Amino acid sequence: MNAFEYATALSTDSARSLVSDQGMYLAGGNDLLGLLKDYLVPSPKILVNIKSLPGMDAIQPGDKSWTIGALVTVAQLEHNDAIQKTFPGIHDAAAEIASLQIRNVATVGGNLAQHSRCWYFRHRDTVCLKKGGDLCYARHGENRYHSLFTGNTCISPVVSSLATTFAALDATVVVLRNGVETPMTVAELYHRAWENPLAHNSLNPGDLILRVEIPTTRPRSAYMQVSDKHAFDWALVSCAAAADISGGVLRSPRVALGSISPAPYQVQAANDFLEGKTLDDAAASAAAGMILKDAQPLESNGYKVPMAHALIRRTLMKLKG
Amino acid sequence: MKNSEPEKFGAHSRRTFFKTIGAATVTAAAARARTMAAELEKANDERVIGPNAAPVTLKVNGRTVRLLLEPRVTLLDALRNYSSWTGAKEGCDRAACGACTVMMDGLPIYSCQKLAIEAQGHAITTVEGLAEKGNLTSIQKAFVEKDGLMCGYCTPGFVMSITALLQRNPHPTADEVKHACAGNLCRCGTQPRIIEAALAAAGVVAERSVKTEVIDYA
Repeated sequence: MNAFEYATALSTDSARSLVSDQGMYLAGGNDLLGLLKDYLVPSPKILVNIKSLPGMDAIQPGDKSWTIGALVTVAQLEHNDAIQKTFPGIHDAAAEIASLQIRNVATVGGNLAQHSRCWYFRHRDTVCLKKGGDLCYARHGENRYHSLFTGNTCISPVVSSLATTFAALDATVVVLRNGVETPMTVAELYHRAWENPLAHNSLNPGDLILRVEIPTTRPRSAYMQVSDKHAFDWALVSCAAAADISGGVLRSPRVALGSISPAPYQVQAANDFLEGKTLDDAAASAAAGMILKDAQPLESNGYKVPMAHALIRRTLMKLKG
Repeated sequence: MKNSEPEKFGAHSRRTFFKTIGAATVTAAAARARTMAAELEKANDERVIGPNAAPVTLKVNGRTVRLLLEPRVTLLDALRNYSSWTGAKEGCDRAACGACTVMMDGLPIYSCQKLAIEAQGHAITTVEGLAEKGNLTSIQKAFVEKDGLMCGYCTPGFVMSITALLQRNPHPTADEVKHACAGNLCRCGTQPRIIEAALAAAGVVAERSVKTEVIDYA
């Protein structure tokens, strides 16, 4: 890790001016310090600790939407009874993230902004496409953990399970960009990663995630993932679903998948198909088929297609409660 | 190592601070010197520190230590190499193995992925801070009794995770112990005995989970 300056910001204005154009924000630090130790990003001149920024560490219930501050830790999300009751999908996603030691410090903002876990990207001696090189080594190499869908050549998947869940809940991520609060859908937050191999998300240097706003229109939500290990592991495939169920039929249903695409993967046609349907295995199975229709498996990640199919069905059925 | 001159320490010196708040306030503030000092400290909180070594004050195992550290020094490094608390171990140095687990304000964290400078103002507990006057805690004793270690490198991390668990949940189930220890790895494969030790320390009677199978190759 190269040397850097350090400052603690007490307001978003000073955070932005301290971070300038050669600094990085420091919250939980789990992902950031890993990146710096392996020299995977240009060494920042300064790390600006944002954990003292006021008002960003609270979970605020509301009638129409809830607000989760970007500095809320994953452990706080996991242990918040009201979240578990109102957004069970968020609770279930938070509870499966990493280990207790990480959840105790990891923040919602950091989880959303974390970088690729592709082993070629993470290898300090490899200059892959994502690091400005010429080749995506995963494409013709070891790709068992990689994407089934991508809008570019890089097949590194998004690994934020909160992003998957927030996508299904149609959450808005509010980003402070050039002093202006800029609302983004989850799709917008990751769109750049979908089309640009160099990007992990759509954030510009100096952008700061402030909070996530979650509409209460979908009282049912669920999150499931499959991993190699039962605990402390990245998802091979993750799935989140959210909807309202009234009169036995789905209203405003949404399904999102993680770990199979550079952005949480959503297919509007499948959401439209499920609208007004009675939730049963046939409907869930048909939706899964629609979502995975255009999958492009590579040499070693073909197993993710049936795995995702099963996971979509199970997650949707979990909405029944 | 050359540090900032005291008068220029941070963005606000005492002088610039009083300037910014105005003379009238200064007069009124005389009676509130303590508040002012706190305000000054707060204003200076935004000062830029480093990249050279700067004073860092840590509270470890009830003791206060003042160190001179570059901002890039991790808490683990500060404990092991800039002080002499070598209980927390360096394994992966990437928040993946749990050997460096310490408690910060009672919560287990990975000290390898936390900057020492950020840990200021928090109570840090390492495995050395558990035994009082040389008397092992019930958890440490249970590790000895249940033979919950082989090489021992991961042990301090497991002890910290289990100590934190039992503080919150004095009578956990085996699954809860597994959940609490999911972020600690043991390459020797002693997890079953570690879980037994945790349950024994909690006074939870559990079925013996270690089944030794004798393979007769004859």
